[in-house]
Amino acid sequence: MYRYDEFDHGFVAQRVSQFRDQVARRLTGEISEDAFKPLRLMNGVYLQLHAYMLRVAIPYGTLNSRQMRKLAHIARTYDRGYGHFTTRQNIQYNWPALSDMPAILEELAEVEMHAIQTSGNCIRNVTADHFAGAAADEVADPRPYAEILRQWSSVHPEFSFLPRKFKIAVTASERDRAAIQVHDIGLQLKKDGEGGLGFAVWIAGGQGRTPILAKKIKDFLPEEDLLSYTTAIMRVYNLHGRRDNKYKARIKILVHETGVEQLTSEIDAEWAHLKDGELKLPAADIAAINAYFAPRELDARAEGWKELAAWKKSDPGFATWVGRNVAPHRHPDYGMVTISLKPIGGIPGDASADQMDAVAKLALEFGHDEIRVTHEQNLVLPHVALADLEPLYRALLAEGLATANAGLITDIIACPGLDYCALANARSIPVAQEISNRFGDPARQAEIGDLKIKISGCINACGHHHVGHIGILGVEKKGAELYQISLGGSGDENASIGQITGPGFEPDQVTDAIETIVETYLSQRTDADETFIACYRRIGADPFKAALYGSESQAA
Amino acid sequence: MTVIWTKDGIVESDPWIEGDAEQGPKLLSLADALAHAQDNAPFGVVLQPADDVTALAPILDRVAIVALSFPAFNDGRGFSQAALLRQRLGYTGELRAVGAVLLDQVPLMLRTGFDSFEVSHAPTIARLTENRLPGIDLHYQPSADSTDAGQGYSWRRTARANG
Repeated sequence: MYRYDEFDHGFVAQRVSQFRDQVARRLTGEISEDAFKPLRLMNGVYLQLHAYMLRVAIPYGTLNSRQMRKLAHIARTYDRGYGHFTTRQNIQYNWPALSDMPAILEELAEVEMHAIQTSGNCIRNVTADHFAGAAADEVADPRPYAEILRQWSSVHPEFSFLPRKFKIAVTASERDRAAIQVHDIGLQLKKDGEGGLGFAVWIAGGQGRTPILAKKIKDFLPEEDLLSYTTAIMRVYNLHGRRDNKYKARIKILVHETGVEQLTSEIDAEWAHLKDGELKLPAADIAAINAYFAPRELDARAEGWKELAAWKKSDPGFATWVGRNVAPHRHPDYGMVTISLKPIGGIPGDASADQMDAVAKLALEFGHDEIRVTHEQNLVLPHVALADLEPLYRALLAEGLATANAGLITDIIACPGLDYCALANARSIPVAQEISNRFGDPARQAEIGDLKIKISGCINACGHHHVGHIGILGVEKKGAELYQISLGGSGDENASIGQITGPGFEPDQVTDAIETIVETYLSQRTDADETFIACYRRIGADPFKAALYGSESQAA
Repeated sequence: MTVIWTKDGIVESDPWIEGDAEQGPKLLSLADALAHAQDNAPFGVVLQPADDVTALAPILDRVAIVALSFPAFNDGRGFSQAALLRQRLGYTGELRAVGAVLLDQVPLMLRTGFDSFEVSHAPTIARLTENRLPGIDLHYQPSADSTDAGQGYSWRRTARANG
């Protein structure tokens, strides 16, 4: 993984001092709260319902055990002993004191971490496929390009006061695990006919109150043009994106109102001036960043095959966990292990300091010191020998981290909702917990199969409800919480926006409604191989609406 | 109080302070500047965020000063306008930020090519007068100001002490 050089260390140290000075000036009143707000947001500090919140960047979701131990230490020392992993591969602390922020940032800097641009109307932390560098199906590791973008976008003088936030995601396989079609820029690393690397460029996807899928505006952008082309997109957006209404300020609205052909031609015209300028990436620089992500030397561990078969036979719980949470690695003797942060009835994405320490220790022992955070709010050990799966499983079990539900109905994405968030209209966590409890039986989950439920507590859609196979959106109606349910969303390479079923449900009706939807699916599917989303796409919304609201609603 | 600040300090008796130019040279709007470009009197131009800076190209050699207006501190269009003026149009004259100019924006403005600032916010004036800017002198991008390259990767720059 990337390691800071002297320049990076110097930069982060200066950024901490800069923020310390900004906080001091805020406390003496030299900066108004209004003017301070974008400054603190650009360093990940939110003012939430009950306290300040700090969002720490985990660039492209990659971290090592030392960094994870530091995150645990911060949870223990400055928070209430836990942290919350987010859908943008970051971690949030919900209870730090503002006065502790500079100290926390200094602690993070010790392990080459920061909170830069995890919020605010700037280019946010760049995300990537959580299986990068390990997946069998990738063209190349996407993270070096995410790292180049991370560096280039850090405190960018031209793009620090954009119309609205700006999110970039990078993937490197046809199978999209980074949800690039719901990002402001989505990049898919690919090869051209001559084997040269470049990107398919998608722009203007997003969720929020106006969910729109991204449009592909370039089929192949050579890798050396990554920064010049991104600059062209950013400049056109910065100059022309709407600033009169924050709900219409994302690039998706600009593209929607201007037209994708027109905007693409403006971007290309701008790019023509920049293409051969100082932003062109020298091959040596691309190679130097790539060297940090060189594929791990993994020893042959063929003994694991036989052992695995025997362990699975003797322990059905282990077999289930391997079946759900271990995915094939590019090396046949290894697997990619998902550590579920979705215990039955738990809070999606939360991890205690002790759990973080345990994951750090296990990553060192069994995982080549590498950990990933997924946008589905789980953790991943990307390089585990099959021969080590059994002891790893035992250790995870002891920490409450061996829930065998990756991709199942209880692997729910949920935003913090009204329990924490100042923007929320409704609670998300209790809804997730109740659904998780209702469907917690392993046999029942297995029968239902792949099903993604995503819950947001407000229209800003941090819980990605628009791209949930089943999406749940909490709204406020006449002072009470109400939940709209949508069906058929997907955030992968076959992305789609879910459609609302009909009138919303009161909090105590939501889980029953989910059960009705699930039962409808089970009764309608051709066989157990037809997943929920495949079935929905075949039969449409009507059978589900009829089951939820009665058949007379179909006419309405 | 409104002052003009540059890296050399506070400018005394600046002729261009907006609304302060009964007798002196004028800051014209983009449309007026284009219309009066043939006049002999020296003039400057003040652009609003929605103005297209490239429209200035034909008359840029006759403009004594370009002012870019920041109607709100968080309206960042002026940063791109400045970058275009310096890097695309090759403008080398005075480039002034006017309007809601606050201390934490000044280092970013300097990097995108501004070299003078009309400032009214008292704490900002105080810090600028002491020449204590809250910037970072290690940069991850090339920009319009004078910086040194050669910091490991092509996109990195370092500020010059007297740049």
